[in-house]
Amino acid sequence: MKSLYAALYCELLKIRRSRVFLISLVFFVFISLMMGLLMLIAKHPELAENSAILSTKASLIGTADWPSYFDLLMQLGLVLGVIGPGIVTIWVFGREYSDRVIKDILAMPVSRFYIICSKLIVVFFWSFLLLTLMFLTGIFAGLLTGLDKWDTALLIKNLIVYSESSLLTILLITPVALITCVSRGYLLPVGFLILIMIITQFLFVGLEGLAPYFPWAIPALITGVAGADTPAAVIVSYIIMGAASLAGFLGTAAWWRYADHH
Amino acid sequence: MDAVIRTENLSKHYGRLKAVNNVSIHVRKGEIYGFLGLNGAGKTTTIRMLLGLICPTTGSSWLNGTKVSPGNAEIWNNVGYLVEIPNSYPNLTVRENLEIVRRMRFMNGQETVTEIIEKLKLGPYSNVIARNLSLGNAQRLGLAKALLHSPEILLLDEPANGLDPAGIVEIREMLKDLATNRGVTVFVSSHILGEISRLATRIGIINNGVLIRESSVKEMEILRKKCLQVRTLNQLEALGLFKKNNYSFTTGEDGMIELTGDEAILAPEKIATILVNSGNPPVLLRVYEEDLETFFLRVISLKEDDK
Repeated sequence: MKSLYAALYCELLKIRRSRVFLISLVFFVFISLMMGLLMLIAKHPELAENSAILSTKASLIGTADWPSYFDLLMQLGLVLGVIGPGIVTIWVFGREYSDRVIKDILAMPVSRFYIICSKLIVVFFWSFLLLTLMFLTGIFAGLLTGLDKWDTALLIKNLIVYSESSLLTILLITPVALITCVSRGYLLPVGFLILIMIITQFLFVGLEGLAPYFPWAIPALITGVAGADTPAAVIVSYIIMGAASLAGFLGTAAWWRYADHH
Repeated sequence: MDAVIRTENLSKHYGRLKAVNNVSIHVRKGEIYGFLGLNGAGKTTTIRMLLGLICPTTGSSWLNGTKVSPGNAEIWNNVGYLVEIPNSYPNLTVRENLEIVRRMRFMNGQETVTEIIEKLKLGPYSNVIARNLSLGNAQRLGLAKALLHSPEILLLDEPANGLDPAGIVEIREMLKDLATNRGVTVFVSSHILGEISRLATRIGIINNGVLIRESSVKEMEILRKKCLQVRTLNQLEALGLFKKNNYSFTTGEDGMIELTGDEAILAPEKIATILVNSGNPPVLLRVYEEDLETFFLRVISLKEDDK
């Protein structure tokens, strides 16, 4: 525990002194507020009659009420639930390589395993904070917009689904950590994130039958956010998702333990 | 006495490239071992293997009798190190960077950080973020991180990098003091022979991954080439004279006669007398002592020729 505590302290200090943390918070708040703005335009189309881009996007939303808004937030949570924690992971693991300080923490009395654990703990809470903030700001923006059909039961239901989906997507950050460490930089893991997004979209648009077998598509199936037309998660889906997360974690630990660190 | 730092047949191969090849080193307690080599000779790879950052292809290393292994974190309790460029977290201040090391080494009391800041003369920069430090001060911060926990073993890779002459002297004296008065074992690599010869008690020369020579600084002094250089108006006649008098000699590329025996080096006046008496007086007569750098380059080139 002493090792974990020491490693955690150091990770928190690094985050506290970094602008990335604040920028990530601002970005997620901004995205939520933009969703609120779109709902406002959907409700009052005359506000964006001079902006074709905004009015087109707002028209895609359909009805400007709370059920539609929650749907939008859920979809947003799924997309940013992969990108946000992914970027956080890339930064937390990748900076050791980009700042060339990896050699300074490997020959320390703190076990490398605990350093990885501390990083993953930090990534988990940071990611959860971002997604929670996005949801709360989203609700706040919705209230400001004055949407119709407010329902507390609907809020609670969506909050549970959103939390569940956030937790499941955050669990899948470990393969991103592994790729960041192996590539010793930012570019490859960012490419990996983009690839995940593209594959997931393909699966939901035209290859629904494969969705239960792709780890990053599974959270949407488990929580039902993907919609009624997509297949449900099967037992194998849970196994695949768990295996991907575990493989990422063990792979990262093995990489730190056995790879050459130049 | 048991070696505090020990490597046995340590090798690291990258495909066909033998970055380090069968290097066996034994460094005793309180010794300052200078590890000398040109850029790319294998110094940093050896240090990285000693630190468990790189897994050896073959061979092993031990610190304080414990085998170096990436899974053995406790071994680093008594080891301070500086590897190549002294990188620190750029967004953190000098003090915060040291605070991280203090925490990672489970040290109590923040005063140790203050003490090392003062010792390394980083006081005016303690609240400056590492990104804004000069190379010299970044190097001092790197050394501060290595020395913070008063380690028994110091592994330093090019510690004089970026330091000004006064800084180099200061660090040299500090390391000497640590070794002499506190029994700290220092393993220091460098490509600057002059610096190593002033600091180390024993020197190992590595070239193309192979440890080609290992000796104490005193032994190295003896091994350095010394000769009496002679130039006369008639070099051929002088050569015949030296041959007749059984002096051992060589001739340099520029025709300079180099008398290599002690009987000539220790008594140049005798050589002068012989030459004057033969009617071929010397126009130049001087004792030449090979400097350390020339010695180093000669040792390396001899090994290259052996291949």
